[in-house]
Amino acid sequence: MSEDLQFANPKLKVKDLNFFYGKYQALKDVSMNIPANKVTAFIGPSGCGKSTLLRTFNRLYELYPGQRAEGEIQLDGNDILAKTQDITLLRAKVGMVFQKPTPFPMSIYDNISFGVRLYENLRRGEMDERIEWALTKAALWKEVKDKLNQSGNSLSGGQQQRLCIARGIAIKPEVLLLDEPCSALDPISTSRIEELIDELKTDYTVVIVTHNMQQAARVSDYTAYMYLGELIEFGLTDNIFIKPKRKETEDYITGRFG
Amino acid sequence: MNDHSSKQYDIELETLRSRVLEMGGLVESQILAAINGLTSGDLQALNAVILEDHRVNGLEVSIDTDCSQLIARRQPAAGDLRLVLAVIKIVTDLERIGDEAAKIARMGKQSYERARMPSAPVAAVKHVGDIALGMLRKALNALARLDPIAAASIVREDFAIDEEFSAIVRQLITFMMEDPRTISQSLEILWIAKAIERIGDHSKNMAEQVIFIVKGTDVRHTTVEELEREARG
Amino acid sequence: MSSAIAPLNKIYRRRRMVNALMLFISGLTLLFGLFWLAWIIVTLFYEGFNALGPSLFTQNTPPPGSNGGLLNAIVGSFLMAMMGTLIGTPVGILAGTYLAEFGRRGWLAPATRFINDILLSAPSIVIGLFIYSVYVAKVSHFSGWAGALALSLIVIPVVVRTTDDMLKLVPDSLREAAVALGAPAWKMIVFVSYRAARAGIVTGILLAVARISGETAPLLFTSLNNQFWSLNMNAPMANLPVVIFQFAMSPYPDWHRLAWGGAILITLGVLGLNILARVMFRR
Repeated sequence: MSEDLQFANPKLKVKDLNFFYGKYQALKDVSMNIPANKVTAFIGPSGCGKSTLLRTFNRLYELYPGQRAEGEIQLDGNDILAKTQDITLLRAKVGMVFQKPTPFPMSIYDNISFGVRLYENLRRGEMDERIEWALTKAALWKEVKDKLNQSGNSLSGGQQQRLCIARGIAIKPEVLLLDEPCSALDPISTSRIEELIDELKTDYTVVIVTHNMQQAARVSDYTAYMYLGELIEFGLTDNIFIKPKRKETEDYITGRFG
Repeated sequence: MNDHSSKQYDIELETLRSRVLEMGGLVESQILAAINGLTSGDLQALNAVILEDHRVNGLEVSIDTDCSQLIARRQPAAGDLRLVLAVIKIVTDLERIGDEAAKIARMGKQSYERARMPSAPVAAVKHVGDIALGMLRKALNALARLDPIAAASIVREDFAIDEEFSAIVRQLITFMMEDPRTISQSLEILWIAKAIERIGDHSKNMAEQVIFIVKGTDVRHTTVEELEREARG
Repeated sequence: MSSAIAPLNKIYRRRRMVNALMLFISGLTLLFGLFWLAWIIVTLFYEGFNALGPSLFTQNTPPPGSNGGLLNAIVGSFLMAMMGTLIGTPVGILAGTYLAEFGRRGWLAPATRFINDILLSAPSIVIGLFIYSVYVAKVSHFSGWAGALALSLIVIPVVVRTTDDMLKLVPDSLREAAVALGAPAWKMIVFVSYRAARAGIVTGILLAVARISGETAPLLFTSLNNQFWSLNMNAPMANLPVVIFQFAMSPYPDWHRLAWGGAILITLGVLGLNILARVMFRR
């Protein structure tokens, strides 16, 4: 691991993480430090474990029986895999946006207030402010300010995804996990989201899983290449895309894979 | 290195490399013809070198276009990206070398049209020209085989050329002081020697690009020791 | 030129012949099916419209030979269907929720689902007999409650099934999104899953209501019938299906007329519910 990573101030520290889907081991001894206020991208072929790794950061895997993680993940020094970790508090700190836009079947306003109400009792005025703040941050306010009572499903795909980002940041998390957030979007919506990611990193630690290597190259500061459940290489994006250290990474990045 | 998932991409990169080598071969023969024409006083050969220069220029433009298209279509990364970037620079160097060859031929032609050349400095020029030609050949070989060690050894040879160049300058100064009538001719030879010295510089640049392609480190403007360490490491 | 576009070779001609033949046979069977359906509906409307009239809704079932209507049966049917739905729907929705939202692990959910499917296709007379033996026989009298109970047993499996199916259609990504925000399971289900599956669940309930409003067999052993006006759920209660059954079996022509009237009422009611369900679901 290069020096810049050791000195970077880490938000998440992953130590010897193993992950199992029943008997199948999906992550093997993954260790890495994810720096704060940077964009870190996970790349790798399908089934390499990048999404699995992402889902350990908010323990989303617990939704499904038979999935378990072993090892240690520290968020600001606290082991979030520990039994004592309050899962609701964890998810308040670690927000997530998914591959397909997932607006809830309710109004745009309620889509955002739903999450906020889980943690805070805001008066109507404060809630209005919070919603405007989140939508502005997600670069959606101008487009939806006159139709906050319309269903979230009435928006276009790109707008829906930005609504989901607004929903995620409305609860003021510290880490934002993005699981292939642009794979269902057209190029223009994609570039909007990418621009947004760049702005978000001043306030949040962003981790993004993407199939699109050019996207990883465009938006991230650090890139991790994973293959078959192992972290093959992790370093500055500039180094990974111009001068990767491992041949496996080079082969994948240059399209010599498989 | 493995093949790409896309065969066509492989073919495009391979074609790019072989076209650079083709251009290198053309430039090499231009220098050879210019130096031979210079020593033998074959005006026809020198003329041919001047006329052929447009082919080198044409190849530069066409390879540059290939590179732009490859970047636009394939978005090369890592080793592939370095190859394309290096090719763009190498092609510029080769084109300049081609210009130097034409310049040598033009100077030689002017000299011979006026009078015979003094044999001693011409022999020295031929000697340094051979070294430069050898450097160019080695640089092209290193590129063809993607051999950073061979590329590193070229850099040391550039020092030899620089020394030879200084020797020629000293020699020409002596000539000019002895007989001021040779001044204009000596200056022409000086220009030729300078052109050859530039060929060495360009070959060195190409060698540095080969190290960049293979190792990913930019070794321009570093010391020889650093460069050699990078090439081996 | 034309041969390039339509190569009329042997294989192609054969294919067209087979296609035409199969189309013809399918059309014929379609007509066969529609023919009986049309006959039933035409007869029903022909006979039923004669019976329709204001007295149908204002007078109770008459003794043979006198004038009357179906008021007590309509009200009884409505009451029992409503009570049956009110009892069966919550049970059905909660059970369906368990199956779809919590039943991912273990054997309980698959077993329940299997048993529910059996219940779904159980003959309704069996359900009537069951309520008769566990309730009616114990209290020794027929009652509206017994009828409502029997109907609720028919409602439950339908609602369980549709709730389960509709909740399973809600993409997991939506659940994950809610959970990733930190929502507890119950909030996720109530605010996200139910909302997303709302139209489907309501449709299921409407279909269940449609189903029970025509059931005769379970009521025959439970609520029986009542000649008179009664809102007492603890006593035998009149209802359309049993009235139709009794009146149609009788030798009296005016009772026959009322049976046809009841039949068309049920048919129109079920048709209305089905249309409503379709409209709901489309939205």
